[in-house]
Amino acid sequence: MLSRTKFIGAVEIGTSKITVIVGQVARGRSLSLIGLGECPSRGVSKGTVVDFKAATECVHAALEEAERSAGARVGEVFLAQSGAHLEGFQNEAEVRVSSADNMVSALDIENVCGLAKSKQLPEGRMVVHHLRRPFRLDGRLVPDPEHLDGRRLEVGYWTVHGQESRIADHLHVIRGFNVRVTELILSSLASGSVMTSADDRRHGVLVLDLGAGTTDFVLYRDGCALLTGIVPVGGLHFTNDLSLGLRLNDQDQAEKLKLRHGRAVVTTKDRTEKLWLNGDLGIGDRQFPRLTIEQITAARARELLEVVRKKLGGNFDPEHTAAGVVLTGGASKLAGIEDLAAQVFDVPARLGEPPGWVGDHLRAPGHSTALGLLHYGLGASAEGSAARRPATVGGLLRKFFTAGN
Amino acid sequence: METPFASSPSAIELPLAGKILADRAVAIKVIGVGGAGTNVVDRLKMENLDRLQLTAMDTDHQALSASPLQEKILLGMDVTHGLSAGSDPAAGREAAEADEEKIAAAVKGCDLVFLVAGLGGGTGGGAAPVVARLAAQAGALVIAFCPLPFSFEGGRRLKQADEALRGLRPVCDAVIPLPNDALLQAAGAGENALSSFARGDEWIGRAIKAVWAMLFRTGLINVDFATLQSAFPARGGKTLFGLGSGAGENPAAAAIESLRLCPLLATAESARKADRLLVHLTGGADLTLDRVSEIMTALTAQFGRDAHIILGAVIDEALPGRVEIVVLGTSELGATSRRPFSAMRSRATSAPAAAGTVPGGKPAKAKAAQDEFAFGGAAESRGYFDKTERNLFEGQDLDVPTYQRQGVKILL
Repeated sequence: MLSRTKFIGAVEIGTSKITVIVGQVARGRSLSLIGLGECPSRGVSKGTVVDFKAATECVHAALEEAERSAGARVGEVFLAQSGAHLEGFQNEAEVRVSSADNMVSALDIENVCGLAKSKQLPEGRMVVHHLRRPFRLDGRLVPDPEHLDGRRLEVGYWTVHGQESRIADHLHVIRGFNVRVTELILSSLASGSVMTSADDRRHGVLVLDLGAGTTDFVLYRDGCALLTGIVPVGGLHFTNDLSLGLRLNDQDQAEKLKLRHGRAVVTTKDRTEKLWLNGDLGIGDRQFPRLTIEQITAARARELLEVVRKKLGGNFDPEHTAAGVVLTGGASKLAGIEDLAAQVFDVPARLGEPPGWVGDHLRAPGHSTALGLLHYGLGASAEGSAARRPATVGGLLRKFFTAGN
Repeated sequence: METPFASSPSAIELPLAGKILADRAVAIKVIGVGGAGTNVVDRLKMENLDRLQLTAMDTDHQALSASPLQEKILLGMDVTHGLSAGSDPAAGREAAEADEEKIAAAVKGCDLVFLVAGLGGGTGGGAAPVVARLAAQAGALVIAFCPLPFSFEGGRRLKQADEALRGLRPVCDAVIPLPNDALLQAAGAGENALSSFARGDEWIGRAIKAVWAMLFRTGLINVDFATLQSAFPARGGKTLFGLGSGAGENPAAAAIESLRLCPLLATAESARKADRLLVHLTGGADLTLDRVSEIMTALTAQFGRDAHIILGAVIDEALPGRVEIVVLGTSELGATSRRPFSAMRSRATSAPAAAGTVPGGKPAKAKAAQDEFAFGGAAESRGYFDKTERNLFEGQDLDVPTYQRQGVKILL
């Protein structure tokens, strides 16, 4: 039956580019990636839409390209969320198990979850995710407490919320293409879900998605997302630092130097070694010391990772992050970034590798968020968290679509 | 073979031994250039510091005759006819160049020259670089304090001041810009203009006094002139300057806190790291070594662990239960060797130091690299992110290049 095959678009409105991947879902189970559309973005700054018209044009171009390459119309869209307006907080709750025989009932679980999620948000903010951390029954971790024996049931949530107006802007961009947004997914969670294995997440892992305008991170422990965050600094900052430091008026030239010679740690010792800007012996070609380029990019890289570590605060500790740091996103192509991450976070670090089923043309680190959107959006139901979704995100989306009409 | 400096005829002529034995005969001169500079120096006159000579230089005869100072030099009588430079730096420079001999005579024999010049005006902006150059040629260590115009005085004066600052940096050992806007910041509500300006004067006065006290007053920890000189090994670098004072239960902690809040430091977010740090502490008789160590630990944490620190500490009986801190830091960022003038230095005191530290051919090109290093907020460039709102994290704007904020020195 036709209706059993769905075409889902994963859309990431990034600071430097818009990525759309089309996935074909057959019988709600198997996913094949059948289309890709990419377009350099305009009107997006640090993960947020600032020029609605320009951004809309780019997104629609990318969607069209993706549909063309897939040979199918997209029926619904999973949309990635990033930007400095997104914040998170943790809230914990506990209940006494109600039944006389101390067996946890579904009602107890519902109560404790309800309590933990009941925190009021300030005016103009909306929830993007309620991320549940593992249950604790009398202090011990349990994946699913139902029918287990205990007295005190605790649970914590990491609630991610964002500014309603900004999120609405993103939704309207997609809606202009006449397609429904069925899921809003935090960029970091998307990347995290596809770049790490379930084992990694159980052992504890930190995923850093270094984008052009933002760095999104998520820390997993005991198999659950413990917390997420965004630093509005990304690859463009490296480029900008270089263009200011080397006095290049042209950001493209700085970008080129960054890609070719930027490093996350200074390795050159030779103060006199020079590099040509273009290397074509043409007029206007200039020389720069390799050391300077490395110093500028290394200072930025170290600071960026240190800011992430500070934002994680006491939640991060190397002992509970046995699977280390996984780096992805376009800016993770900076040479030596994994060595620096290992230094700063004091755990092993590696560049993320997408799972084997991802085709060669989608394996670049810049595609991890879009890939992850499909993976997370579809996989979430398999991981047993479907129950909480329609009630929150879906409900709010409905609110937007009706209010907008 | 003779040592290099003994071979120089000028060194032989001077009675070297006598000079050293004549109990720290270090000559210090404070020169006010232009209207603003002269005003400041006039007010310094109130606090009598021996062995500190004060001089006023201006193109305006009327203003100069009102000054109570002993030594007054009217610049460019032939150029401006004693009628001021009229806010034109070119006229100020011309006037100073016309009277180079007079200026040279005034700075002759000085070891240390403090130059005070308001850079927004004609005489201050135009003549100050000339005076600084002549003083440096005479072998003096030149430290300039430059009040910068208020932003409400308009773009032209600010631009002039900026240009003057750029002209001044390569010829001074240290240039300390004092934006008048910082006075506004420090002023309480309802404070009158007079006391606001008085605070500006006090900043300059205390800095001069601190250096003076370091050299002349005997205290806990003394600093001699050669050491002071070593704090300024290069010209054209950026300079850090801050003051703090504290009283009460724990004066040391209060002084550190007050230093941290000093508006002169607050504006220079990018420039908090120094290569060389000159720290002067003044305290009452109750200043203990413990306190000194406490203050120094806090300061090194704030201004750079690797900094070469020169510490002076003085006991002032008149300040029981009070601690005052003056911090003067220099960095080699974008600096050039200050030795171009060493050949012209004739004084024996400076000759050995000069011969000992001739740098191994530092490229003169480096100067252009960071010469534009302006002060405070203006220095922080955000480039591509110029039009976006500030991206603050722990008080730092992350859009400003990291290397600038951390004071990483880069070659170009």
